[in-house]
Amino acid sequence: MSMLIKEVGVRVTQQAKQETRQRILDAGITLFGSKGFDETTTRDISREAGIAVGTLFNYFPAKEAIVLSLVSDRLAAAGLEFHKRLDSTSTSLAERLFAHVATGLRKLRPCRKFLSTTIESCLSPATLTDGNQSIRSDHLEAVTALITDDGAAELPSAMALQLYWTLYTGVLSFWVRDTSPHQEDTLAMLDQSINMFVAWLDTQDADA
Amino acid sequence: MATISELLEALPADEELVQEAPSQTEVLNSLSQRPVPLGALRRLWSLGGLHARVGLAYMAYWMRSYFKNADDRDRDRMETHLRSAVKILNTMGYLRGAVMKIGQLAANLPEIVPDEFVTTLSRLHFEAPAMHYSLLREHVHDELGGDPEEIFAEFETEAFAAASLGQVHRARLKTGQPVAVKIQYPGIARTIRSDFRNLSAVLLPLRFSRDWENLKSQFEELRSVMETETDYEREAEMLRRVRRLFNEDEGIVVPRVYDEYSTRRVLTMEYLDGQTMHEFNDSNPAQELRNHYGGLIFRSYCRILFKERMLFADPHPGNVLFLDDGRLGLIDFGCMREWNDEEWDYMRGADEALVDFSDEAIITHIRRGVDLTEEQLSNAELMRLMVDYCRWIWEPLVTNDNFDNGDGSYIRRGVDIAMAFAKIARPAQKPLNVFIQRSFFAGWGLHHKLKSCFNGKRILDEEVRVLDWPHRK
Repeated sequence: MSMLIKEVGVRVTQQAKQETRQRILDAGITLFGSKGFDETTTRDISREAGIAVGTLFNYFPAKEAIVLSLVSDRLAAAGLEFHKRLDSTSTSLAERLFAHVATGLRKLRPCRKFLSTTIESCLSPATLTDGNQSIRSDHLEAVTALITDDGAAELPSAMALQLYWTLYTGVLSFWVRDTSPHQEDTLAMLDQSINMFVAWLDTQDADA
Repeated sequence: MATISELLEALPADEELVQEAPSQTEVLNSLSQRPVPLGALRRLWSLGGLHARVGLAYMAYWMRSYFKNADDRDRDRMETHLRSAVKILNTMGYLRGAVMKIGQLAANLPEIVPDEFVTTLSRLHFEAPAMHYSLLREHVHDELGGDPEEIFAEFETEAFAAASLGQVHRARLKTGQPVAVKIQYPGIARTIRSDFRNLSAVLLPLRFSRDWENLKSQFEELRSVMETETDYEREAEMLRRVRRLFNEDEGIVVPRVYDEYSTRRVLTMEYLDGQTMHEFNDSNPAQELRNHYGGLIFRSYCRILFKERMLFADPHPGNVLFLDDGRLGLIDFGCMREWNDEEWDYMRGADEALVDFSDEAIITHIRRGVDLTEEQLSNAELMRLMVDYCRWIWEPLVTNDNFDNGDGSYIRRGVDIAMAFAKIARPAQKPLNVFIQRSFFAGWGLHHKLKSCFNGKRILDEEVRVLDWPHRK
């Protein structure tokens, strides 16, 4: 009986923690979107989430960490959505890679406005933190799976993955500042970038 | 700066032209070895280089055939223009859409360019770098607010036709209506505007040349036509206007536009099930059928011109479909040009000269469309050639009988006149005149491909009646 009470208690605590974390993220996306990233303080976010400032720091050490979590959660959801419709429509590696990135961009769209000030610090290929390291590794793991599923004899090299990541973060940086209608220029840039990357991969395979 | 002679020597020989065009795979492979284009967005269009090379090869052919007989003085005189033209085509390497349009224009004059070259250019209509479905889905989602499979009851993921600025997919509305959905490559409209701004800068050093104003206005004309073509909302409006012009029993059908599924970048139209001109010609149709369709095409162009004051900028085989029941389908209204009152007055004057057909009437008309110097006006040989040229252009419209467009001798005669013309002088033509001639050549090139034979004068007389022009009474 006491074990059951304890287990329920742990579940409730975890659920409460998860809810608090989500409230902070929701408050973050609302305030970053309306006031901008720089103008929003952790105090503002705490107030919006209905928690004490100190409680916020139990979950996120800084504003940037909130952004990274928002990005990470949305990309994870995009990954699930991408896999759900992968088989029926996408045919070539270039198309699958495109769909993978584009699904992520669609999920990230509500964050686009405030990502413009944070994208470099959060996702720069030259900057690695615990937060962005997991985004990077999750994304590249998915990309590796797509490349090997395409029939590549070997795993993509570290150089190939770094090149891909540089292109990907470059597209993201372009996208957050893209002023074209519906960011259509980003679609074109992504299309051409992926084509270029896949063509380069093919030459690497041929050389091998 | 290279001289004409040097340019001619540096150009590939005719037989090398087709071999020079690399496959798309080769282009992609070669791209992958180049530095990543991280500069301005226009650099994204480097794939267009394939078409630019074909465009350059086309220009090479023209230059060789046009000037191989010219003396040094003529060559020197033309250098400035040609250098700028070469520059333009080079810059257009990034501009897939525009260079393809040039290809389409050139592909309609089979008698002027060698057969293998026409084949290469014709293929360009159908070999545009395609949008795969994932790109298309994102683009349609942004434009129509949902994925294609949500918006439509059915949507074919493979395009069934390429448009120069996008591609066309078959689909079915939730009402069951089959439709064709034309989708523009994302960003191409603004890329064209951006590239034309760059081209203006390239042309600027020519501002002191005698023909600067003329060159500038022709360039503006081209820019305007290209911009128009990228606006699908405008094309939808054109379709609506033209659709109203034909009764059901006239055998000419224009697809209906579905506004709720259309934007500036996506155009959803009624699907017409018919043969393309290429398919029609391959089916070895009876001459009567060729004549029937030729007459319908000509009548439809006359009707659109006289009732709506609009002209196809580049009539090409992709504008028409041959339906099983003998009806003609008119599609692709992206490249229509509307005439203002002043231009329409020029058109009326042209028709007046055509009806009169005397030397005096024709010269009066020529003087309205061409900037002639006093020296040129007093050059009897030049004026004779210009009158001959007009008479030649109008010949199919004044012949009181069926005119055989399949007979290549008509176009060859025109080329002979044009070549003789070029050796004497190159009077500056007004942009509208250039436009009309371009449209006319492309139109007759189309009828030549169809090998149609019909009485153009009778059709013209019937259609022009609507205007009630005094000189026609």
